[in-house]
Amino acid sequence: MAKYLLRRLNLFLATSAVLMLVLFLATRMFPVDLGVALTGVEQPTQEQQQQTIKAYALDGSGFSQYVAFLQQRLGGNMGISMTSQQSVAGELVDVLPASFELIIVTSLMALALGIPIGVLAALSNSKATQNVIMALTLTGYSIPVFWLGLSLSLWFGVKLGWLPISGQLNLLYEIPRVTGFVLIDTLIADTPYSMSAFKDAVLHIILPATTLAVFPFTVVVRITRAAMANVMTQTYVRAAEARGLSTAMIVLRHALPNALIPVLKSMGLMLGAFTSYAIVVEVIFSWPGVGAWLVQGIYQRDYTVIQSGIMVVALLIIFMSILIDVLHTATNPLSRKELYATN
Amino acid sequence: MPRISIYQEDHIPSPSRRLWEAFSANPFALAGFWAVIFLLIIALFGPLIAPYSPEMQDPKAMLLPPSWDPAGTVEHFLGTDDLGRDIFSRLLYGAQLTFGMALLIVATALGLGFVIGALSGMTRGLKSSVLSHLLDALLSIPSLLMAILVVAVTGPGLENIFWAVGLALTPQFVRAIHQAIHEELQKEYVTAARLDGANSLQIFWYVIMPNVWDTVIIQTTLAISAAILDIAALGFLGLGAQAPSPEWGAMVSQGVDNLLIAPWLVTLPGLAILFTVLAINLVGDGLRSALTPIRN
Repeated sequence: MAKYLLRRLNLFLATSAVLMLVLFLATRMFPVDLGVALTGVEQPTQEQQQQTIKAYALDGSGFSQYVAFLQQRLGGNMGISMTSQQSVAGELVDVLPASFELIIVTSLMALALGIPIGVLAALSNSKATQNVIMALTLTGYSIPVFWLGLSLSLWFGVKLGWLPISGQLNLLYEIPRVTGFVLIDTLIADTPYSMSAFKDAVLHIILPATTLAVFPFTVVVRITRAAMANVMTQTYVRAAEARGLSTAMIVLRHALPNALIPVLKSMGLMLGAFTSYAIVVEVIFSWPGVGAWLVQGIYQRDYTVIQSGIMVVALLIIFMSILIDVLHTATNPLSRKELYATN
Repeated sequence: MPRISIYQEDHIPSPSRRLWEAFSANPFALAGFWAVIFLLIIALFGPLIAPYSPEMQDPKAMLLPPSWDPAGTVEHFLGTDDLGRDIFSRLLYGAQLTFGMALLIVATALGLGFVIGALSGMTRGLKSSVLSHLLDALLSIPSLLMAILVVAVTGPGLENIFWAVGLALTPQFVRAIHQAIHEELQKEYVTAARLDGANSLQIFWYVIMPNVWDTVIIQTTLAISAAILDIAALGFLGLGAQAPSPEWGAMVSQGVDNLLIAPWLVTLPGLAILFTVLAINLVGDGLRSALTPIRN
């Protein structure tokens, strides 16, 4: 296992290095002066110019420039935003929690609903139930997320007026920022209206989270169903039946843990698509997260924001997918069989 | 009437024939198949069928609802937008941009991914590792971020979407094909063929590939639906097709301004995207279940 972990760590470092190289080359191709693209200072003084050249080793070789670029970016120096003139790293710290909040709530929704429905679809013998579930998931899988978001906000936000359709919290509430997660901040805030603020925050997250959850939900249902149907034909399940265990016991203790392994794997595979969807959802519901911030950045051609946003999101995805890979191997002894084979 | 066949043997259908039989036994898959053919025809001949040009503005018919609405007219079958442009014609022209473009992108990504995936799958050691992981970094950049990066470098436009979505799709093909080949390579029938004296090229083409084609086909259908959704999402965000273009995602974003008084401007292009992606997913699902029994 140690050797395997070391290999994954290597993979993480190598992939991140290639990613940084892609960004490094892209920075050179931006249609602005290189110094501006790197620091975001549009009218640098003589002194600032010298500083940029020194920090990014612009007079050195290509390789030393790349190393300097890595040092600056990974050291947390991402320059300043060209539009707001604020430090990009500071803005990132502001927007990241909102995205995490949305993604965590969405994932919980998708898993909490998807796994039971997938199990139900696999266990049900009625053709009609199966067809209905498959038709629903296939539609959910094919629906364009921006259209779904617009339709939901038109229907529940405007026509029925049940749910707010933009932002994280009503502007009336003044909640001190502690963790950056509004759902937590409103709860721990020491104000008389903290409970109603929490309710408001919950109402705000319902529509974006539902819109975003449709895609992972359908994937989870489909994978759970297929895996569960497969597991239920295994001999150990028949052995458990022969021992006289109840269905609930068989499903929960014997079948489900094995059926969840492919679900874990598919979660790693859909990270990229899920992130794309999250960006669109953030834009539609004006959710103050990384996605909306990045799209704003591209509208305003804010090159420092674009670079660092892509860097952070892609690094997170690389890290998450390798983490899921490691978890998958740790929980699934079968996948370790090929571990030390030539590859 | 006497039996003509002396040998009472059943005719054994060819693999492709069996595939078609298994595929067409599923009515949903067949419906999806016809829908895809219908879309292909529209993508090819849409401009000939369309009653108006996509940019033609009719100042007398602005924000006209679809014809089944009491206020609608049959001249503008699906209504018009705020500039008086005919939605039906725009949807027909848009099929070429959204669906046709997706096919083109997937074909390119498939070609490139196939070559790299096959090379890395057949080789061993460091070379294989480098080739298969080379594009992993790209795999970790979601298509939308890739598009943002491309747009930052070159500016928005439909051609840039070709690069953005293509670059995001290619690593998936590389990975799928690499893994499929790698898996097959370890099976015993390959060793048997090698012992019979087959060289690497023969093993690749005649021994392994027949068992990998189904992976390729399934991956392709997945990629087409992903490409359509990506193109539309980029058009919606204004990073892909630009404003007057009848690309479906761009049409949705142009309709958002009038969402409250003219919801059909958003609903109809959205339904078109949903219908297209659904048809492709139905075919993909049908193919997957039709291919599996042959494999087992």
